[in-house]
Amino acid sequence: MSAAACGVPSGNDRLRYWNLFGGGDGVRMVELIDAFAASRPDLDFQASTLAWGPPYYTKLSMASAGGRAPDVAILHLARLPSFAPGRLLDPFPPELLTEAGITPDRFLPEIWDRCVVDGQVYAIPLDTHPFVMYYNTELCEKLGLATANGDLIPLRGPDELIAAWAEAKKLTGGYGLVLDNFGVSPWRLWWTLYRQLNGDLLNPDATALVIDDAKALQALDFMRRLSVTDAVAPGQMLLSGAVALFGSSKAAFLFNGEWEVTTFQTQKTPFSMVPFPEVFPGTAGPGGIARTQADCHTFVLPHQRGRTVAGTRPAIDYVRFMLEHSVDWAAGGHVPAWLPATRSPDYLALDPQSRYRDAAAVAQLDPKAWFSGSASNMENLAGAAFGAVQAGTATPEAGLAQFKADLQRLIDTPAPV
Amino acid sequence: MAVDTVRAPVELTAPARRTRSWAGLWFALPFLLIYVVFMIWPILAGLWSSLFNTSLAGGDVEFLGLSNYAEMARDGAVWDSLWNTVWFTILSTPPLVLVGLGMALLAHRARRTGWLLRFSFFMPFLLPVTVVALIWLWIYQSDFGLLNAAVAWFGGDPVAWINDERTAMWAVVICTLWWTVGFNFLLYLAALQGIPRELHEAAAVDGATPAQRLWRITLPLLRRTTGLILVLQLIASLKIFDQVYLLNEGNAGPITRPLIQYVYEQGFTSYRIGYASAISYLLFLIIILVAFAQFKIFPAGRDD
Amino acid sequence: MRTRLPLSLLGVALALLWLVPLAWAIDTSIKPEGETTRVPVTWIPDVFTLDAYRGVFAAGDLPMWLFNSAIVAGGVTVLTLAAASLAAYGFSRLDFPGKNWLFALVLAGIMVPPQALIVPLFHQMQTLGLVDTYWGMILPQLAAPVMVFILKKFFDGIPREYEQAAELDGASRLRMFWSVVLPMSRPVLAAVGVFTFVTAWNNFLWPFIVVSDPDLMTVPVGLGTVQSSYGLRYAEIMASTVIGGLPLVVVYAFLQRHVIRGVGDAGLKG
Repeated sequence: MSAAACGVPSGNDRLRYWNLFGGGDGVRMVELIDAFAASRPDLDFQASTLAWGPPYYTKLSMASAGGRAPDVAILHLARLPSFAPGRLLDPFPPELLTEAGITPDRFLPEIWDRCVVDGQVYAIPLDTHPFVMYYNTELCEKLGLATANGDLIPLRGPDELIAAWAEAKKLTGGYGLVLDNFGVSPWRLWWTLYRQLNGDLLNPDATALVIDDAKALQALDFMRRLSVTDAVAPGQMLLSGAVALFGSSKAAFLFNGEWEVTTFQTQKTPFSMVPFPEVFPGTAGPGGIARTQADCHTFVLPHQRGRTVAGTRPAIDYVRFMLEHSVDWAAGGHVPAWLPATRSPDYLALDPQSRYRDAAAVAQLDPKAWFSGSASNMENLAGAAFGAVQAGTATPEAGLAQFKADLQRLIDTPAPV
Repeated sequence: MAVDTVRAPVELTAPARRTRSWAGLWFALPFLLIYVVFMIWPILAGLWSSLFNTSLAGGDVEFLGLSNYAEMARDGAVWDSLWNTVWFTILSTPPLVLVGLGMALLAHRARRTGWLLRFSFFMPFLLPVTVVALIWLWIYQSDFGLLNAAVAWFGGDPVAWINDERTAMWAVVICTLWWTVGFNFLLYLAALQGIPRELHEAAAVDGATPAQRLWRITLPLLRRTTGLILVLQLIASLKIFDQVYLLNEGNAGPITRPLIQYVYEQGFTSYRIGYASAISYLLFLIIILVAFAQFKIFPAGRDD
Repeated sequence: MRTRLPLSLLGVALALLWLVPLAWAIDTSIKPEGETTRVPVTWIPDVFTLDAYRGVFAAGDLPMWLFNSAIVAGGVTVLTLAAASLAAYGFSRLDFPGKNWLFALVLAGIMVPPQALIVPLFHQMQTLGLVDTYWGMILPQLAAPVMVFILKKFFDGIPREYEQAAELDGASRLRMFWSVVLPMSRPVLAAVGVFTFVTAWNNFLWPFIVVSDPDLMTVPVGLGTVQSSYGLRYAEIMASTVIGGLPLVVVYAFLQRHVIRGVGDAGLKG
């Protein structure tokens, strides 16, 4: 525990914490919350988990607008601009951060920089969660795609990858690869592919669409190949269905965020994970890791009328506790943002969780805008437009046209923050 | 309450007739205050903020004139969600009326089973909407749900009831039917109990079959009740939000989204208080028009 | 009559069909978690257990939400009865400047759909500092003009002679209201009270808008917003719906006639 934990003045012993972890990572979160509560019996500490996505963010905004928000909450880093730092969020008191040892040098600079607005720190990163590829080790070994120790042989380029998934499809009799086409998943996949092609979407102040149609279509064509043209993957599928199929070894590969580790470990699925493959070569980062869509969970201080530095102290203690327990958190799948943790032997020993850690360095967050970020309007609109392409009910051209029209409307809307 | 100490001397001097005084206002004042602050004022304030780009996140506001209304006219999502609301009304009203009528006819003639029928038909109406939605989400669940188990029993393939756009609105309608038909059942039952028994007896003496009595006596006498139920149903359907929101939260998205949910999303999820207020007035206007029509068509509708 | 038996059977069959969803919820809630996701589904659990109920109570949210629901629904009912009956009496019996105009304003409010006001009303609550408070949930629900209308109509029908007798004994207006008119209005007060309570207890939209703090949520809001600390555990979710739905259903089972009259009489006009 940090020194700050001792001698908390009375009257500042209330701590209310909101998060949105309802999946496999939620189980880890509950364990950590219980551990923190046990370590600080002096605090009146309560954690609430709200339904992921728009319900969570809408409630958090409304509570902040009302001025009686929780003391500390989880926010996706790409959502920071949409929370009007300074109005719906309070800045972290710099003296408390220094005291707790939460300093910029302990985070990746490109991530820390996005947490600072107008010289003030509004978010403390907890983790990065890249879009990754899960694979079934037993099936891949049968396919000759995995080495004896379970490593996947490198696969890159659209044809090589699709050939591998087609073989896998023959083996399973169902699908080679599973992925879903509802919610925000189509956005995650498309943004991964489009960024591998080095495409840009918005100008820096998010006032104009600068999309490269040819690259956008190239990405969408690949998505269409998966489920329609080459049909190695399902077109209409819910995330829960995709996870269930992979978990029961009825598919050899899965595209998803890395948070299902606990789910598959519990089900004893023979699986491992790699960073998202390099579908379109040319932009890979160090170590040949391909660009991939990601977001970061961060801690923020929702706006409270009359928030004081002393009253914020328990929140900082909690953040510090969580950062210190980053390795326990990483066991649920997320890549720690706290650099001391990513270098620790305990983390490096986590398998498969440490296999995709380098994806954090090539993480592609959503472009900065008040309407972007996890579960945002933009992601949901893209999900609808591109999900239809995956389902085969819209052509790539039609899907792109719909997304561009929707996005243009968001751009034209006067920013409410 | 200080009942004994409060006196109204003016009244004492004029025991027979009512006099004009401020006393009545004191009686009405608590209600009027609440009414003005929490209903009249928001109506006016909303109209005012619909002319600005007011944001939930605060900050400077800018006068926009009518441009929120102009944007609304161009915004396809407004009209899509209004259409969803109307489509829901079209799909749900006939079963809500007919099933309610059928239930009332069955319960009215039931003797020993009357209690069971009244309990079963009306009980869902007393459940909080969230309870209703959670139960139906579980029934509609695509892998382990009861409905797909029934489908499988008949040899069918599992259906994603909530997410499939062919079934999503039906899922809402069926859930709503189960939840709220009990109210219409109640109104029909009360109307049936108001029909004099002698009418039926006289008809039976004249040799009318039960079916003829239903068509010639009962149903025509229920016409007024049916009209009332239709209007109440129409207004309730236009205001639909709760069960749709709870059923499709994070799932179906705009497939079934009703107008109030779009207001909610614009106002709170996207912070656009000004724009959401403008859309609110579209709905406000429609409902007021329907309510006026109700007064025209059923002038005594509220008086019996 | 030949048609009686088949129609009785049809009635009972429909009644049983209507009970299936609730029965399925109860059935799921008494299964062990592992049995809930079994395919094909079974109605009779291999193991009967109350674990799900224990889990729900251990999580602690639901008792707190039931308490909040009681505070809010109770508060709304008592205050509505008080404010609406006082106003109804004033409009029914007393003459004051602007009375007709004010009553017309109240009548017009019957047509106002509160659902269309959520956005401006929340904005006003922000200004008044009532977001995330009990009062923020209760006060707007008191603005129910239809209740004033129903009560005024009833008061209008009470002969004035009773009050004149009391007046001769030197009773004040408030006393006449309290000890003459109110006791004679028990049936309508009960109907308004039952309807208001049921509506407030089950109200989702407004409490959902004005309260974000899980400590203050009512049952409908809490169940719909707070992601089960139980995750995707169907037995526990169903146990929570059974507990959340139970109070009014039990009341209805025992007081069927009162509930039907209350909801029917007052609801028809609302």
